[in-house]
Formats: sequence, C-alpha cells, structure tokens
Amino acid sequence: MEFSNINIVDVLPGIFLVTASVLAMLSIAIKRNHIFIFVVTTTSLMGVFLYLIFYASNHKFNVEPLFVIDGFGTFVTGLIVMSALAVSLLSYAYFEQREERKEEYYILLLLATLGSDILVISKHFVSFFLGLEILSISLYAMVAYLRKRNKSDEAGLKYLILAAFSSAFLLFGMALVYSASGSMDFSGIASYVASNPTLPLPLFAGMCLLVVGIGFKLGVVPFHMWAPDVYEGAPAPVAAFIASISKGGMIVLLVRFFDQINGFQYPVLVLAFACIAVASMFIGNILAIQQTNVKRILAYSSIAHMGYIFVAFLAGGELGKEAVSFYLVAYFLTIIGTFGVIAILSDHDRDAELLDDYKGLFWRHPKIAMVMTAMLLSLAGIPLTAGFVGKFYLITSGANAQLWWLVIVLVVSSVIGLYYYIRIIAMMFEKMEGTDELALHPRLYLINLITLVVISVLIIFYGVYPQGLIDRIRDFLY
Amino acid sequence: MQVSAEYGLLLASVLFTLGLIGVLVRRNIIFMLVCVEIMLNAAGLAFIVAGSKWTQADGQVMFIFILTMAAAEVSVGLALILQIYHQLKTLDGDAANSMKG
Repeated sequence: MEFSNINIVDVLPGIFLVTASVLAMLSIAIKRNHIFIFVVTTTSLMGVFLYLIFYASNHKFNVEPLFVIDGFGTFVTGLIVMSALAVSLLSYAYFEQREERKEEYYILLLLATLGSDILVISKHFVSFFLGLEILSISLYAMVAYLRKRNKSDEAGLKYLILAAFSSAFLLFGMALVYSASGSMDFSGIASYVASNPTLPLPLFAGMCLLVVGIGFKLGVVPFHMWAPDVYEGAPAPVAAFIASISKGGMIVLLVRFFDQINGFQYPVLVLAFACIAVASMFIGNILAIQQTNVKRILAYSSIAHMGYIFVAFLAGGELGKEAVSFYLVAYFLTIIGTFGVIAILSDHDRDAELLDDYKGLFWRHPKIAMVMTAMLLSLAGIPLTAGFVGKFYLITSGANAQLWWLVIVLVVSSVIGLYYYIRIIAMMFEKMEGTDELALHPRLYLINLITLVVISVLIIFYGVYPQGLIDRIRDFLY
Repeated sequence: MQVSAEYGLLLASVLFTLGLIGVLVRRNIIFMLVCVEIMLNAAGLAFIVAGSKWTQADGQVMFIFILTMAAAEVSVGLALILQIYHQLKTLDGDAANSMKG
C-alpha cells in the first residue's frame, strides 16, 4: 500500500465534515450554544454540497488505494449531505424542546454523515469497515440520545449489540475473502473472482458471511428484527437518519462491490439475494398491516422498500444503477419527510407515534396533514409522486433484465402495502368527536414547516416532471 | 514451527462460533457484549492469519482497526448498560425488552 499523489482538494468533503465536528466539539468546551452549533453544522453540510456541485461533479478520480470518486459516488454523496441537512433542520426544534444537553447531537450527526460518505466512495475493505463503524458508533449514541426515556436506552443497546454482531459477521467474511484472494481491494478481489468461475469454498463462506452482515445493516428479512424496535425507541429525526442515510450508504456500497467483482456470475449469490428481496417485500408489507404504531409501520415499510431496491440491484447494469439512484432520491425525501411530520407533532414527553395521534389531524393542522398525505402517497407509490416514478423505474430495470418473478412480487406486495398507508390517511381525515385529550399540542416551528413543505413540493415536482432529475442522474453516471 | 493457514482459520472459526452461541444463549447484557467481543477478535485473528499467509502487513493493520473500533464500541455500550441499570436495576436482557422485537 502506498499513498501517492493525494490531492488535498480531492478529499475535501471528509476534511470539511471532520473540521466542522471538531469545531463544534471545541465550541461546546467553551460555551454551550445550540444555535451556533446548528449553524456550524448546516453551513458545513452546505459547503460540502457546493463543493460537490462545482468541483467533484466534473472530476472523476481515485484516491488510491481506498477511495473511488466517480459520478455514482458523487451523486449519492450529494444526496446524503442534503438529507443530513434536512435531518438537522428538523432536529433543531425537536431537541430544543427536550434535552438539556443537545449540542453533542450535531457532532454525532456530522460524524455519522461522514461515515456514510466514506461508505459510498470506498473501494477497499479497510475504508468500507472504517466508514461503516464511524457511521454505526455515532448512531448508537444518537439512538439513545434522549437518556430519560426507557425506550431510547433499550433501543440504543439493542442497536449496539446487533450492529456489533453484524460487524463481526462482516469482518469474518472479509477475512475469509482476503485469505482466499490475497487482496482487500475490490479490483484485486475482482481479478481473483474472474479467474475462478466456480465459487471456491473459502470465498463462498466469506461471501455468505458478508451477505449476512450486509443484510443486518440493511435490515432486510430475515435479518430485520432489530429495525422496528430501534425505530420505535429512537428520536424521530434519528429514525429518519437510520432509515435513509445509513441504509442508503450501505446499498450503494453493495451495488458497487457486486458490480466490481461481478458477483452476478455466481447463481448461488443471485438466488440468495432474490430470496432476500422477495421475503423483504412480502414480510415487510404484511407485518406492517398489523401495527398500530406509526414508527413501527414505517420500520416495516422501509424493510419492504429495501426489498424493492434489491430488484434494481439484481437487475444490475447501467439501468439498474440509474433506478437505484432515482429510487434513493425519492425514498430519502419521503421517509425523511414522514419522520419530520412525526417530529413536528411530538410533544415534550413522547413522540407522536400512535395511530390515534393522527386521528382528525386534518381538522386540527391541515397543512401538516396535507404534507403527511403527500409523503404517504409517495411511499405507497401513487402516480404524480416521486415514489411512483421511482417504483416505475425499478420495474423497468427489473423487466429489462427479465426478472419477471421479482417484478410480479414487487407489484403484488405494493398493492398489499397500499392498505396501511391509506389507513393512516383515512385516520387523518376522520372527523374529530368528543374531547381531544389524545391530541398533542405541538409547538410549531417555522423552520420545520418550511423544510417539510420544500420536501413535499420536491416529491410532487419529481413525480410530475421526473425528466429533470433523470437527466441529472445520467449526467453524473456517464 | 510453521502452522498452516487452514489451522489458524479453523481456530478463528471455532472462536467465532463460540461467541455466536454465547450471544444467542446468554441473557446477561454484559455477557452478550463480551461474546460479541469474542466474535470480533476471532475476525481479527482470521485477518492476522490471512495476512501472514500472503506475507502482507494488511491483516495486522486491519486487526488494529478492529481493536480500536471494539474499544469505542465497548465504551458506548458500557455507558448504555449503566443507564439501563439505573432505570431497571437489573442487567437481564429479557427485562430490557419492553418492545417486543
């Protein structure tokens, strides 16, 4: 391994995020000031985004041996940074009315964003591992951030044990692949794989363990049992972060890894992923129907959404990557928006997570109810929303690769999924009767409302006019 | 004496399996954490064996990263365990399972 010709400008996003988190940490040591740290966080995220637009979007280069900065990576990094910005905008009011010590949250948020950013540009096991752990360890603390809630601690501990457990699987898998191939670089592994058309046993065992580890991180069936509990216990903005940024980083890494080593030449692995996809789509949607807690519904729904993305991932090729990119945009916007609504409705003691909290919401807060309706319709994939175009894209890529079974399962399970989204919407439009003792009294903050309105406008805009985003994605990818 | 890489990997997988069984069987949260550590260190051992097989330093580099990460993780984990102990007065994993997951 040698590090030669590293241009400092090439790795600027990471340096930006690290500097911002160190600055935030130092400023806490001097004086706690929520607004200052909030401004540092949002400015640094904006800074990274501007850098990506003006510099990285027309530079493609490798930082040997760890990183590859290509169009796909740059696009998803931009998406991650903007999502982190949206999450931090939604967090401000949420934490302002709860925790006494809310400043450290932003350090963790910046570091977790950095971890996810490293994941999407890594092309080596070391950077993969480091990115993943920076992400996970920040998330443990973020999940358990509201220390006074029992559920929060419980969720944090569950997440910690299961994430460490899955990291052990990942690492053991990496070690086996390394011992078989003699390389931790994706391209080195690729050349070993290319010379071994039949899957040798150590490589096979290593790949199986990697699949298990990645499956846990993505929360796909049968490795999904942590997701509902963690979503329920975590503060709403953190749940949004886990559902979007942490899973998105992992999906992109999976796409890159499989694409590079050409894992599709092994039918066993393809079959394993197809089974995971089918199980996630069905079980996620079916279990969501039985829930009465909105956060748990969203957890199961995100399990199903991971299954949908797997269809495009298995289709592979350029169209698959396009579909994954588009779907990630639609899914990130929607899931962050939905958790944003939960955050805005939550009161001091608990999150607005029960279905009953949404009863008659339309008559109490029509604006928020409209936003929530747009989000849920997009999650369900109703036309004129970004979710519909995304799903259409997935189906196209699946049909193009002739994965008919997966496409049929996708369509059928989406129809099942409609039920529980529509149920929440019906709940919101129900007429209020009697006293509204269940009704929460949120302190509305302008900044949250503006963020949510922007997100819902984007969802409708990309649903009505997807061509702009598609062209953008193609610019980046090719 | 030269030990072949297969034996090293075998030892690592035995350790890994022991840790895995421990996590699944133990109900005390601290023991679950210890068993996860065993799994992580088994992976570290496998990396060292693989590194020595290819006579590269990469395996040992990875081991040091694993140690660092495990230390960070245990520090967060113990803090959470303390918090849970304050609230529940027990370290039983089943007691800390109010959400049926």
